[in-house]
Amino acid sequence: MIRFERHTLDNGLRVIAHRDEGTPMVTTNMLYDVGARDEDPEATGLAHLFEHLMFEGTREVPLFDVPVMMAGGENNAFTNNDFTNYYITLPVNNLETALWLEADRMTGLDLSGERIMTQKSVVTEEYRQRYLNQPYGDLLLLLRPLAYEVHPYRWPAIGMDISHIEKADTISARKFYRKFYNPSNAVLSVAGNVTPEEVFRLAEKWFGDKPRAPRRRRRLPAEPLQSERREITVARRVPSPQLVMAWHTGGRNSRDFIVLDMLTDILAGCESARFPALLVREREIFSEADIYLSGESDPGLVIFSGKLRNGSDIRKAEKAVEDELFRLSSGPVTDAELEKARNRYESLRLISHLSASNKAFNLAHHELLGDAEGYNREKERYLSVTAGEMTEKAARTFLPGNCSVIHYIPEPQ
Amino acid sequence: MKETIRARPPRINIPSAGDTSLPPCIRLSNGVPVYLTGNGPEGLLRIEFVFNAGQRRELVHLASEATNAMLTEGTELRDAASINNLIDSTGALFSHNADKDSAGLVTVTLTRKLDEVMSLAEEVLFHPSFPEREFRMMKEKRMQAFLTGRQRTAVRAREEFYRALCGDRNPYGRVTRAEDYDSLTATHLRDFHAACYLPGNMYITVAGRNPHQVLPLLENHFSGEGAAQWSKPVISPMEFGTARPGFIFCEVKDSVQSTVRMGWKGITRDHPDYLGLQVATMLLGGYFGSRLMRKIREEKGYTYGIHAVAGAFHGIGYIVIMTDVATGWREETLGEIKKEISRLQEEEVGSEELLVVRNHIMGEIARMFDGPFQVAEAIKGIVDYDAGHDYYARFVKTVNNITPGKIKELFNTYFRSDEAYEIIAGIA
Repeated sequence: MIRFERHTLDNGLRVIAHRDEGTPMVTTNMLYDVGARDEDPEATGLAHLFEHLMFEGTREVPLFDVPVMMAGGENNAFTNNDFTNYYITLPVNNLETALWLEADRMTGLDLSGERIMTQKSVVTEEYRQRYLNQPYGDLLLLLRPLAYEVHPYRWPAIGMDISHIEKADTISARKFYRKFYNPSNAVLSVAGNVTPEEVFRLAEKWFGDKPRAPRRRRRLPAEPLQSERREITVARRVPSPQLVMAWHTGGRNSRDFIVLDMLTDILAGCESARFPALLVREREIFSEADIYLSGESDPGLVIFSGKLRNGSDIRKAEKAVEDELFRLSSGPVTDAELEKARNRYESLRLISHLSASNKAFNLAHHELLGDAEGYNREKERYLSVTAGEMTEKAARTFLPGNCSVIHYIPEPQ
Repeated sequence: MKETIRARPPRINIPSAGDTSLPPCIRLSNGVPVYLTGNGPEGLLRIEFVFNAGQRRELVHLASEATNAMLTEGTELRDAASINNLIDSTGALFSHNADKDSAGLVTVTLTRKLDEVMSLAEEVLFHPSFPEREFRMMKEKRMQAFLTGRQRTAVRAREEFYRALCGDRNPYGRVTRAEDYDSLTATHLRDFHAACYLPGNMYITVAGRNPHQVLPLLENHFSGEGAAQWSKPVISPMEFGTARPGFIFCEVKDSVQSTVRMGWKGITRDHPDYLGLQVATMLLGGYFGSRLMRKIREEKGYTYGIHAVAGAFHGIGYIVIMTDVATGWREETLGEIKKEISRLQEEEVGSEELLVVRNHIMGEIARMFDGPFQVAEAIKGIVDYDAGHDYYARFVKTVNNITPGKIKELFNTYFRSDEAYEIIAGIA
């Protein structure tokens, strides 16, 4: 149970405060309700490029990092398809410095052409470093447009194509900033040894004067039900084939998510789980086999990913995965498997409570999903999942027509 | 009125590193050192078993990491499936650690499962059986990862650097070849295990709430009758076949970026300049606003990131700068790195910039001691290298007292262009 208090400023900024007396540091976590799903399909990658620009300084603070380092802090950010998250962790007596910096860059960013040019180049190199210059690096770039036809999840947060990043300019950046960076589109979560009253007072001091912007309603096209299996084969310079299969499922708040999260843990969460035990160790089809949820707010994917052992046939491997999934209907999850998943869930949850910054993020994330208290309710929701429920969800999810498949194979030498 | 408040930035308090003292070493009855560090959430404990069983101890290449990986693949009592099932049933997380200078096992467990987990830890650490089938599967899996690594420019550049620094016959410098996997046998691992995984060659850290509760179990499983006495292992110093500095090119076909790595032979932790060198490399490329990040990323846009690090193994130190850049910019990048170093060799750093670095390091040290799991990691860094219990206290003192003149001197002593290895890995 993570105790916290909540307060909304007049301008719509939601503030969450969690007191953790065990740490000398404090984390401010600023979550903006804007991600790659909010981008124009012709200009993707802008949310992530913008995250870079948020470190490029303002009129008041030309070098964002200098005061953070001066205050003994560290900071970073990440962007995904749903949101953009910024955090600063510093000694608690410098909390105000972090709030000053976040307030300052919420409205005062210097969006000159030169800074945009440089960050476009940095992001292009990031694109190459993370996705193109790594063996298997472009797999997930290939999966999205295969699994989604209309929903903006069809492109990755880094962007659909490098050319989109190259096209970004000052005008589009300014428009994006005005539209998404304002108090009513953000959640500020603070965790550390500081009272909620003090957090709310300082939030009022630094953010209270910012004008209220109209609350945005997100209208995204819903992905139509997939009814036919999709498959692509790509050849790359890699040593062994990889098989990826993805099925559509519910969003982060749905019961599907919780049930399938427990089920995927039973299938591949640990060495004794079904896939590693049967497909890797016993039958030696794969050298690694994993299944996990993409975890997005809107209906997302459950993704199987497995590297084949030399000599395994990719079609037979795919059949073996399907057989294991179908087996869930006839041979349900056992009590021992359920007990294992519950114990592991408990351990992992306690580990996530070790750091104040983790707690700050989780509270902010759940607030964005609708209610920070959801973070505390989640434990009960996970522990209440039954074997019957898993069988039933598996039967509805792992349908051949609901599946997108990638055969990623070595290029002929 | 609110506007006038907004206009004034808050005063920044000089960060302090806080309490950097390490917990005292207590000993099991056979002498095995144990470090206990408290607090953290109720119900969770982290127990790490560290052996002087790193790469440094290898007579046969890959023996250290392979032995470590095989610990949970079968014991005298149980096969791999039943070990994995037992571990996972408790909800515990076992992670294998095999580094250059130590190897072992980290266990994170629910306190209520402590008994079972400690008994399993003893079994896998001291009684592994190295079964043939699992051994073959482990080798095949690692071989696959090795072949994937062959296509990564960053991996290839790193290998070339350590080869140049330590020599191809030294365990730190040896570059892995596919044949190394073929020639490795389970007997090699049994020999390595028999030589290195002994109570006389280990220490334990315990982190979490009420760490003392673990002691009777540790006594039971890792000491008592029959267990070997602890004694400081005597290891003969290694021989290094350090190559002459210069340019090294490593071809990686079809790569879309190149890795640029510039490095020097550095100094070990017992050298009086070691801590000062940490400050110098931090200034050069240790944080987001460092000289290299500002120049190569923020001004030129050549890369997503560039980093500089000074570190040391046993008997040899290293300094290294590394970055992945577009292939067309790799020579320019190398040139710009050299220019930044020359500047630091010619001009003293300003007091404002030095203060930023100072405060940043203080904050970093404070975060290293923020929470019991972190403290356990910090202890490991100290014990593995005999760095001394006052290591962080001395570090804080050095950071506070170092002068711009000393930093300039360090750059002139340790970053000489005629002593640098310049490595590029990418397309020809």
